[in-house]
Amino acid sequence: MDDAIRASLAAAGIDVDEALERFMGSEAMLIRFLKKFPADQGFSALAAALEAGDREGAVGAAHTLKGLCGNLSIKPLFAGFDRQVGLMRAGEWDAAADMMPQLTQDYNRAVEAILALG
Amino acid sequence: MELDCRGRNARQEPDTMLIVDDDELNRAILENIFSPFYAIEPCENGKEGLDAILRLRGRVCAVLLDVVMPEMDGIQVLRVLAQERLPEQIPVFLITAEASGDTMREAYQLGVMDVISKPVIPYVVERRVNSVVELFQARRRLGNVVERQQSALLRQAEQIIGLSRGMIESLSTAIEFRNGESGEHVRRIHDITKYMLEHTELGDGLSPEDIDAISLAAIMHDVGKIAIPDAILNKPGRLTAEEFEIMKTHTLQGARLLERIPQMRELSAYRYACDIARHHHERWDGRGYPDGLKGEEISVWAQIVSLADVYDALVSKRVYKDAYGREKALGMIRDGACGTFNPSLLECFFRVEQELRYLYETPKEEKKDG
Repeated sequence: MDDAIRASLAAAGIDVDEALERFMGSEAMLIRFLKKFPADQGFSALAAALEAGDREGAVGAAHTLKGLCGNLSIKPLFAGFDRQVGLMRAGEWDAAADMMPQLTQDYNRAVEAILALG
Repeated sequence: MELDCRGRNARQEPDTMLIVDDDELNRAILENIFSPFYAIEPCENGKEGLDAILRLRGRVCAVLLDVVMPEMDGIQVLRVLAQERLPEQIPVFLITAEASGDTMREAYQLGVMDVISKPVIPYVVERRVNSVVELFQARRRLGNVVERQQSALLRQAEQIIGLSRGMIESLSTAIEFRNGESGEHVRRIHDITKYMLEHTELGDGLSPEDIDAISLAAIMHDVGKIAIPDAILNKPGRLTAEEFEIMKTHTLQGARLLERIPQMRELSAYRYACDIARHHHERWDGRGYPDGLKGEEISVWAQIVSLADVYDALVSKRVYKDAYGREKALGMIRDGACGTFNPSLLECFFRVEQELRYLYETPKEEKKDG
């Protein structure tokens, strides 16, 4: 992985070294799973569920996204979804919904950086 | 055959790891970590995982179990496994992104070995899982070793018992060979003693183990003859008074010989053997030897062996006499021609003598001094 790509992923909050360690040093495997991230329907499902007041759907989607971002070491998103799942489980739905603008911004940044991989 | 199968099973260690997680990425990460160590069986939900565990149970060395899954969640899977007591045999690890206090408590109560948080850190999860798998393997191997050693020890104990018995029989038979007999005499004394103890009231109060020990001891009644010179032992015809005195010492010599074998003392037959060797020539009226014991002073087993010895000598051919017919032999015993016996012993003997005859049917003639 060249330094420019590594820098742009890092700028989007992705800890490449940590992620590579999780994939036992396999860059190919990391890139393969990173490239699946933009196509993942989880984030839109989360937004739609919150919009529709589908609490079960929302907490399921947020939980899955948290796991996904954790595995890929997309740090701000992992931290964000972790907090959001916590709020949902605590019944603080407004606070959970209020996190969406920030999450959307972080999400888009990560998607852009990943799409730049080509 | 059965042993063979068990042996093969013992050698074939379970080597399959089940990774139960609905998320493809999670499965891929865990598989990537553990595929150098185990055959990996991925399962996409709890139901599929449970089926795989039950289907492959003997081959599974570890289960990595996600908590939040469709179909059946990890805790539900665990509950079923706990009912089957499987977590005692197969280590189960909960891999979870958020373990609440209650979930973690229940998981441990249901028998999980460890709760590992996601996202996983490879070197941590690898060490934690592999250590436990090794522990289970070592425990299983040790269990097999102990089991094998136990059965080996049992086999050895049986061999030792058989060997001791063989040594006792060889010693007694060797002594019998010395005065030109075939070993059938000691075998019959054993059989007569055992038969009378098992089939008459003479054996009342004795356990089957006691009867075995006494019958084995009966085999050794004449070991003292090893100390009697050939010229006396094998003299055809009547012994002089002086020779007879020497012959009589085989009772004391026998008891002394047995007392000098320390290993003999461990045998349950030992105390019977010493008693029988010393007292199998005592008589009910006190006119026997070497101690001149009288009546109940002589143990039941020594009395039985005395009578068996006399009976066998009468109906067999010996260096100093031909075999007597059955009627003549019984008459001589009844009339006290060979010394006086306990009337109730004689009563038992005459009652079963018909059956004792069968012991003489296969082997032919015997010769031996009493």
